[in-house]
Amino acid sequence: MTAVREAMESGAISRRMWFYANYHCNLECSYCLTESSPRAPRRQLDHRLMKSLTRQAADLGFEEVGVTGGETFLDLALPATLAEMSESVPVIVLTNGTLFVGDRLDRLAPMLGHEISMQISLDSADPDLNDMARGPENFAKVVDAIPRLIEAGHHVRVASTGQAPDDASQEALCVLHRSLGIPDEDHVVRPIVRRGRGATIDGSIPAGPDELFPELTITADGAFWSPFAPTVFNDQVDTDLLVSRTVDPLSLPVQRLIALAQGRPTGSDVANNIR
Amino acid sequence: MQDRYHHEMSSRVSLIAAEQAPVSARHLFADGDPGPLVASWAQVPELLDTALPFVGMILGASSLSVRYKELAILRTSALMQCRFCVNAHTEVAVDVGLSESEIRALRGELPLAEAFTATTEVALLRWIDAVAGGRGSVAQDIADAFTGQFADFEVVELTMLIGATLMLNRYASALQLPNGADSIDRLQRLGYDTGLLGVFA
Ligand code: SF4
Repeated sequence: MTAVREAMESGAISRRMWFYANYHCNLECSYCLTESSPRAPRRQLDHRLMKSLTRQAADLGFEEVGVTGGETFLDLALPATLAEMSESVPVIVLTNGTLFVGDRLDRLAPMLGHEISMQISLDSADPDLNDMARGPENFAKVVDAIPRLIEAGHHVRVASTGQAPDDASQEALCVLHRSLGIPDEDHVVRPIVRRGRGATIDGSIPAGPDELFPELTITADGAFWSPFAPTVFNDQVDTDLLVSRTVDPLSLPVQRLIALAQGRPTGSDVANNIR
Repeated sequence: MQDRYHHEMSSRVSLIAAEQAPVSARHLFADGDPGPLVASWAQVPELLDTALPFVGMILGASSLSVRYKELAILRTSALMQCRFCVNAHTEVAVDVGLSESEIRALRGELPLAEAFTATTEVALLRWIDAVAGGRGSVAQDIADAFTGQFADFEVVELTMLIGATLMLNRYASALQLPNGADSIDRLQRLGYDTGLLGVFA
């Protein structure tokens, strides 16, 4: 077994790798890790590089690739790239779900028939509460898009970010996602992390190397410890969880992440539920 | 930018602060400011991991005496007009016991002959001037005098030291790395010019 597979088998690093495809976004959420907005620098990853690194990841033993941003689907060429990436490993792509109106939904057609899941953010069953963090009309757009995406043949998951909800709110959210066609196993709940815009939010949870599961994350600024690591604060990309600036060949950041991760107590991140 | 540095000129790259130090470099920031070389290399952790042991091996303790090493580093830095390295190594030279006239001669403020007369050191200084200040091959008489005084392993180490210092000089000068404010204060109290670099400037 290779050292990389051994590190995955032992739980030292994740079997999933992430890309930050871009940093700009049509929204400007209050807890955004990357200070994304329509004005944020794009810092896009080259698609040829993403495809090449995905092939390398599969060869090294990674079993899944995640793509996040920014709003990933602001890049109209992304669906075809995701389709090609998914020929190496299954892909999960994170999106705010607000762009899929009119022919923007049809543009996702290259993804159909591929092992690609879309993870859409929806924080609350209460439209006002949801939109307080994510912006006006967000709730309406998302609950409109999800059934249409499912009907078009896409696999959709829902991610909810926020402070620990009370039982009633949690149940209302679950009733909502089920009504939209999302089963419980495709609903993930995440806390607000104390990085990016979340750094100033009361009740957000710290996220350093002791709390974050090592999950290699490739961005235009280099390779990072986790998808919660290449955050932006006051327009500066945080470097505290930078693994290397070199991303190609992928073996270099992978080896560095393994070296950093080994010996670290496992499981400490599970309690915080920020995998 | 941090107040710990002297800011006549400011660095052309961000110097990583302790709270932003990459995981692999945290230990270097544990006891406080690691200095602008490390704080800038920390921008590229994989480079830091390679450059630091390399520089540490060449500039740190080795088979050569500290005195010979400082002759090579301070003289090379003065020839290259590297303000950062000249200031830093003027302070080191004081600390390791070089006399004021020796330091001023290495900095180009006095003729070398006024401070250095030992045959071995004269040969070394001529070698440094030829390697750091010249182009192409080194004249045979300078090489003969130098290799006549030093064993091959010392020739290798000293020449690598001069070469590594040249690299650091250009890096520090180009990026305008700042000296520590405390160092500048100390050198100024000792009467050294921390802005200009003697006759080479
Ligand atoms: S949290 Fe997501 S949707 Fe919201 S601003 Fe950031 S990138 Fe955009």
